[in-house]
Amino acid sequence: MAEKLLSRHNLAGVPVKAGDIVEARIDGAMSHYNFVEPVHQLAVQAGFPEGLPRVWDPDRIFILLDHHQPALSQELADANQLMRRHVERLGIKCFHDAEPGIAHQMMADYGLARPGELVVGNDSHTISYGALNVGSTGISRVDTLYVLLFGELWFQVPNSVKVVLEGHHPNYPIAKDIILYLAGKYGDDFAGSMSVEYTGSLVPQLSIASRMCLSAHGVEVGAKFALFPADERTREFLRGRTDKPYEPLEADPDAEYEKEIVLNVDEMPFMVAKPHQFGNVAPVDEVTGIKIVQAQIGSCANGRFEDIEIAARILKGRKVAKGVRFIISPASQQVYLQCLKAGLVEWLVEAGAQVVTPGCGVCQPKVGFLSDGEVCITATTRNYKGRKGSLNAEIYLAGPLTVAAAAVAGEIVNPREVFREL
Amino acid sequence: MSFDLNQVIRGRVWKFGDSVDTDAINPYYLYPTMEELKKHTMESYRPEFPKEVKPGDILVAGRNFGCGSSRPGLVLREVGIAAVVVESVSRLFLRNNISRAMPIFMAPGVSGIVKDGETLEVDYAQGLVRNPATGASVALRKFPPLIEKIFQSGGLLEFARQRYLAETAR
Ligand code: SF4
Repeated sequence: MAEKLLSRHNLAGVPVKAGDIVEARIDGAMSHYNFVEPVHQLAVQAGFPEGLPRVWDPDRIFILLDHHQPALSQELADANQLMRRHVERLGIKCFHDAEPGIAHQMMADYGLARPGELVVGNDSHTISYGALNVGSTGISRVDTLYVLLFGELWFQVPNSVKVVLEGHHPNYPIAKDIILYLAGKYGDDFAGSMSVEYTGSLVPQLSIASRMCLSAHGVEVGAKFALFPADERTREFLRGRTDKPYEPLEADPDAEYEKEIVLNVDEMPFMVAKPHQFGNVAPVDEVTGIKIVQAQIGSCANGRFEDIEIAARILKGRKVAKGVRFIISPASQQVYLQCLKAGLVEWLVEAGAQVVTPGCGVCQPKVGFLSDGEVCITATTRNYKGRKGSLNAEIYLAGPLTVAAAAVAGEIVNPREVFREL
Repeated sequence: MSFDLNQVIRGRVWKFGDSVDTDAINPYYLYPTMEELKKHTMESYRPEFPKEVKPGDILVAGRNFGCGSSRPGLVLREVGIAAVVVESVSRLFLRNNISRAMPIFMAPGVSGIVKDGETLEVDYAQGLVRNPATGASVALRKFPPLIEKIFQSGGLLEFARQRYLAETAR
């Protein structure tokens, strides 16, 4: 699919193969708060004292305030203000300003990336839209400046790795367990600079939310693209969100893959990544008994309805363990609204969880810093040392169900031991 | 800021393991200014690094260097790192280095030929990195011509500027 994607977008108009360098036409560019500070500063550095002198197409640039909304400091409020000025000056039409949430979720919520397109963004998890069959990937800030000016960018055409997912989907989300299992078994760079293509009998059973979790985590296994086929679920998701036509990418039956990996989820245990690397993975049974003081669900990997719904379903009628801070952050306002309408927030708050503003806060040290010696289990993207403040804190990554179980038990447990109804 | 790919780089080695993340290289959430970053870069792996690193030193690391976010490793240049030589690098970190013309080289096997504190020599023209003390060397991966061109012109920013000026002069 990656060869087809980049052949289709090759400015030279000829088909390309893995390893080729192409200059490609970009369909859409996402930028979050970085648009102002780094990108603007770079423009000044490049000799444009007023900032970017133009943008290539004001309709294809999507600016979402994301990480910094609402402003957490005077400095950020001032930066946001500057951003508004530049967005207006450049005539950029799609600007989500007064709306908290994670840019990548909003890109999906508002149908801004469509199957078969080549979409870039100055954030590593831009790769998430692969869930919707979008060839999307993170680029550097200088790359972003280049794209904003010209609507073009160089790429090396990646090799592809095929991940075949088989088995039956249970009635709770397992996307996080899948990607942790793969990173543990094949290494946290098993897809290094490659395009991951998901296929197999499990794929039609995976919700768009679960696909976005897997695509987002493409970054944590090194991938350039993390693509799902466009199927009925994709079309249903996009209905009402976009009215522009699109042309999905399909893998050729004889497509060549650098690697092929098969996983049957029926045999997969609940998985946990231990501190401080994504690939430092173990089945949950090997880490049970570890006391935790903080549990979190959120981020561009796990802040979606199904992630919060499983926590709410499990917590209904139970209590968060004494002394545990259970922090939940919906990925966007749309997701938040959906959770509210379904009554989930009430169950969560009754059980002693905290629901905080949608956004990236829980994934970074912005909401819920950790102190020395504290242990946190989280359904977010990263467990690198210092990711939540102290270098002497420990972060475990797991799926939302395992996190909810730990929040109730006060320690890492196999969810089946807490929730017999599973 | 351009640099000449073909100039031999020689320096004292700081060694790191696999999957060094951008939160370690550039812990911007905790230290938003460059001055603070310089005092904390890489400390999650080696607390002495920010205190003892000297201009001209070379950073050697294992596979998957710079995994994680899209944040660049500018701070490494600011503390004086002359080159980063790794077994393999995350794609986004590599893109960052190319677009800012910051020297980074992929040399599978490099971890095996040099110890922490020894001297390493990077010879892009010859396509190898070597340990002058032991004579051991491994090949480094050459960049495609377009990437060499971007390096040579001082990064993608300079490229962008020249292209824009050329387009608007017409
Ligand atoms: S949720 Fe975390 S990983 Fe995702 S975009 Fe925000 S900060 Fe980055």
